[in-house]
Amino acid sequence: MRSSAVDKGLRTGVVFGIVIVTMFLIGFTVTGAGLVGKIFGVQSSYSTPPLVFFSIFMILVGAWAGVTASPRPLLEADTWNRALLAGGSSGAVSGLFSAIIGFLFGELNSNRIDPRTYLPSVSPESIKMFLFDQTPFIGSLLMFALMTGSGLAAAALSFYLRNNGAVRSSLRKASESVWDSIRSERVSNIIQNKYTRYASLLAFAAILIILPRTWGGYWNYVFGTVGIYIILGLGLNIITGWAGQLVIGYVAFFAVGAYTFALLTAPEPHHLMMNFWVALGLGVLAAAISGLLIGLPILNLRGDYLAIVTLGFAEIIRILLKSDLMTPYTAGPRGIRDIAGPTILGKSFISDVDFMYLIIIAVLVVTFLANRLQNSRTGKAWYAINLDETVARATGINAFASKLLALSLSAAVAGLAGVLFASRNQFTGPDDHALMVSINVICLVIVGGIGNIPGIFLGAFALKGLPEILRETENYRLLIFGVLLIVMMRLRPEGFLPAKRPELEKASVQNPLGKEA
Amino acid sequence: MDKPTSTSTQGRLRLERYLRTFAGIVIGVFLLWRVYNVIVLQQNFGADTWVRFGLSGLILGGMYALIAIGYTLVYGIMFMINFAHGEVMMLGAFGGFFTFEALRFIPAPTLSNPEYNFLNAHPFISVLLAFLVGISISAMAGYFLEKIAYRPLRRAPRLILLITAIGASIFLQNLAMLLFGPQRKNVVNPDILDRGAGWIVNVSGNDVLISYTGIFSLVLSTLLMIGLYILVQRTKLGRAMRAVALDKNTASLMGVDVDNVISKTFIISGALAGAAGVMWGIHMGLVNHYTGFLPGIKAFTAAVMGGIGNIPGAMLGGMLLGVIEAIGPAALGIDFQLKDVIAFSILVLVLIVRPSGILGEKLSEEKL
Repeated sequence: MRSSAVDKGLRTGVVFGIVIVTMFLIGFTVTGAGLVGKIFGVQSSYSTPPLVFFSIFMILVGAWAGVTASPRPLLEADTWNRALLAGGSSGAVSGLFSAIIGFLFGELNSNRIDPRTYLPSVSPESIKMFLFDQTPFIGSLLMFALMTGSGLAAAALSFYLRNNGAVRSSLRKASESVWDSIRSERVSNIIQNKYTRYASLLAFAAILIILPRTWGGYWNYVFGTVGIYIILGLGLNIITGWAGQLVIGYVAFFAVGAYTFALLTAPEPHHLMMNFWVALGLGVLAAAISGLLIGLPILNLRGDYLAIVTLGFAEIIRILLKSDLMTPYTAGPRGIRDIAGPTILGKSFISDVDFMYLIIIAVLVVTFLANRLQNSRTGKAWYAINLDETVARATGINAFASKLLALSLSAAVAGLAGVLFASRNQFTGPDDHALMVSINVICLVIVGGIGNIPGIFLGAFALKGLPEILRETENYRLLIFGVLLIVMMRLRPEGFLPAKRPELEKASVQNPLGKEA
Repeated sequence: MDKPTSTSTQGRLRLERYLRTFAGIVIGVFLLWRVYNVIVLQQNFGADTWVRFGLSGLILGGMYALIAIGYTLVYGIMFMINFAHGEVMMLGAFGGFFTFEALRFIPAPTLSNPEYNFLNAHPFISVLLAFLVGISISAMAGYFLEKIAYRPLRRAPRLILLITAIGASIFLQNLAMLLFGPQRKNVVNPDILDRGAGWIVNVSGNDVLISYTGIFSLVLSTLLMIGLYILVQRTKLGRAMRAVALDKNTASLMGVDVDNVISKTFIISGALAGAAGVMWGIHMGLVNHYTGFLPGIKAFTAAVMGGIGNIPGAMLGGMLLGVIEAIGPAALGIDFQLKDVIAFSILVLVLIVRPSGILGEKLSEEKL
């Protein structure tokens, strides 16, 4: 029994050790220290954070290693030993990894060998910090002791909290009472009361009207971006969340919308100077048609071909936009400037605040439409196809037509987002439509809750809003997205706010995204 | 919505097949006309240029074929596009690059040249080492990818697997960028594999350079493909792989350890991708975190073109795609910037005209 605890501790320690080494090699240790500093409200973003925060960061990592390793089912008599052994060995092994890497790079540094030729993220400052400003030997010893200690302490603490009846029952009581008060009749009466709903709607509308005026340009820009990504997420959700067909190159439709709009309204290269609203309609239409054309040959085939074909389509569009061949028609790599803003009765609205309002209105309209679609006959047909296409066909659903409709609606929404994006920036170029955009959208839909409209709002705020606040993590954003996708698919494939379906469809709970492989 | 009677469904399928054939003929005639126009009527390029293009296409095609085999093997067994496969190849390319860099720093002075380093003193050992390192890194990457990311999702829907694969791809790409920096790295070859050196052949009065690195890559990739074919057709492991691809459940009833076979499939496909990656570094000379992305997607195109699940198909598709990509821009008379567009257009065209690929797909009749 004891050996199994040590075994688990060792294995966890190796995993955490590799993670720490990787974090050091990509320079994340400094960033992590900066983030800790930010939590304490001390650190400015762009200087080396003090040692204290780095120590706290490493203690947190060590504690995590200890908690992960500490045994879960607490039945045996000698569990105190088990918990301490597991936590201690896990912390010690990860500490050993960190100590070795710290010592190696410390020696390199003191011999004046710069590792940055091959590992550009390992700066002398980060090495110095990793060794607590000590000599390599003492620094790595300190590191080892710190990690072992924090692993032990965290394992002991988590063991105590889990095993201590008083703490557990009081925690449970507290959470239960909160739940009860939320679920109690009085509260639900208040929520379901007509007047309360009107009042809250009014308050919500008032907030939406007042906030953009008080935010200032920067936050309007950030939340405008969030709004555009909400629209994109709602659009992708139609084809991926409801109809169950993954589209990787979603940015292609975004680009079609943006470029159609830009070419129709900008003075160069064609000088068409069309009215904003007409061009908006045409941009959305062009995107919808492109979705239709892409879907026609592909949607009858195996599902994953759609993913890769749209990816190819997105790359084709980006390369074409950049190429010399299309430069006379689409302004090439320079992009299109001076794209028109919205006008109402001849008066133009192009300030930040006006645009924020426009985006809010667009988000509301798309949300409303998506909500209606979800519960419509078509929405149910999509859901049926998602669950099992063969059965859906047998019940008389024209799967091909439904999927085609879903794809072109999706594309139309992306076109709308593209129009808003181009118009707000008054500029659009090929690099605005890199594959990154699609990956962002896929991530936000999946993290928030695939197939669920509130989930998409949450995802957009979390994935586009948070990184603006946590600016230090900018370089690591994509890396974190990758990890997030893998972890979410393994632990919570339905997202943080899972979609709810009526009781009748409970049978599919095991299988939220579609049919069996 | 049409009535769900069997006749109307069959009629629609037949109509669809006619439409696909018709579209194929129209596109084919148009392309032939265009090629005829450019090659015969305009005659912008002499025969030497075409030989040069064809050769570089074959060399590129060999690498595509190696990567495409990995896609096809995995797709045949798990019905999943291993989106991170290109990144596995990129890791192999970095393995080769770092081996060369390390060997360059080991001094190996000879009498005639006291400043000689190991890389040039023992070029054959160096290249062998580079391939060993690159292949083992990629094989390990493939193994761990399957073990960490895909194995827990064995029973999950395919969309979940695909999203996981995309996540793995993003992760590996950005990890490499953060570790090694975003700039492109020059791969310094041993002197005997100098990229400018090669045999010079006279074609219609002009000299054509057949580079050593190119011939080296082509020969090596051919050998590896033959080796893989023997492995799949003649060995016990190969038979187990084919059995699992045909029907997982029956195979496991017959005593095949399915998990083990899937693991080994990922190791083999990773190893081939790693070899392709090292070749890429030696022949193309530039490596960065983005190296694997485009070749990966193109190799998938090649696998679809040859018929997914079909190993000879992947080889044929890879070679064909390489040649088309090299010759295409010149033959169609378009800009060389657009060669990536050609590869992607081929994917769309294949799916429109013949979705099952040239040699036909080989997949089990399991639920698709």
